[in-house]
Amino acid sequence: MTWNDFLESVSNSALGTAIREGATTFAWIEGTHVLMVTTVLGTIAIVDLRLLGYPAHRRGAKQLIKDMLPFTWGAFVLAVITGLALFASNALNYWDSNPFRWKMIALFLAGLNMAVFHLTAYRRIAEWDDLLPPPIMARVAGITSLGLWILVAFLGRWIGFSAPMV
Amino acid sequence: MNMREAAAQLYRTAVSTEIREVTWVIPTVQSIHIVAIAVVLGSAIVTDLRLAGVLATDETPRTVVRRHLPWMWGALLVLLATGIIMAVGEPNRVLMNNVFWLKMSLVLFAFVLTLLFRLPILNPEFRIEHGRWAKMVKPMAWASLLIWIAVVYCGRWIAYAI
Repeated sequence: MTWNDFLESVSNSALGTAIREGATTFAWIEGTHVLMVTTVLGTIAIVDLRLLGYPAHRRGAKQLIKDMLPFTWGAFVLAVITGLALFASNALNYWDSNPFRWKMIALFLAGLNMAVFHLTAYRRIAEWDDLLPPPIMARVAGITSLGLWILVAFLGRWIGFSAPMV
Repeated sequence: MNMREAAAQLYRTAVSTEIREVTWVIPTVQSIHIVAIAVVLGSAIVTDLRLAGVLATDETPRTVVRRHLPWMWGALLVLLATGIIMAVGEPNRVLMNNVFWLKMSLVLFAFVLTLLFRLPILNPEFRIEHGRWAKMVKPMAWASLLIWIAVVYCGRWIAYAI
């Protein structure tokens, strides 16, 4: 089975077909996807701005991260689930879409950036918890995260305006 | 002149045509609109959940609202500006659409709720527990969140209600 065959079988699966052919199914899943992606971006921006040295409603970075991360993670999981569902409804065409591919790359890089941050600067957060501005590694992580997630939002919107969706 | 005629006239203007015909304008304006939605949701989640007693309860409501409300106002302005560009560019899709007007009603409602229940908190003399609407603060905070969520769904549904 080739990759294209696999994508076609995903599209033709019961799930893919139900989403594609349902009267309002796609719209509801898409609406939820947008809500989740904007929630990820909105809650992560608060943390990223803190990493850049702009305090939110508290000065301590660690507690702020603890405040926000449950929402970011919860929204992210739902964004992935709804995203997979949307993809399944039209797998071949989404795979062929350049903005879609770049969006997946941006997502991967955002995840990588987060992992690096958690394994390095975050390990020593007690040292810089209420320091303004934070150390350079934290600021780099913050601006990279913010930039990548805004890019994800733009690329996601452009999928609908680019070939082969348009 | 009714809405249909107004929309048709708007459609024929040079500005409207330009917005529609320069291919990158509408997708870019919509993307900026989406990023601004994210800012509103981030602010709304923090302030509404603080008022609901769920998040950051070790910080005073005033601290939380004071920090996040300006971001919400700023983002709402960006949403208005990008929204106007989209309405001017595609007047039929926007102005002749029931879902759009439902969305505008909900936005107005959320905006008024925010004004009524957030602005007094900024006053250092104000005590939430002693305010006239003390019992309404928590339910209104949850209602506010739900209304913003409904606005997001309406926004996406505009495209499907044409």
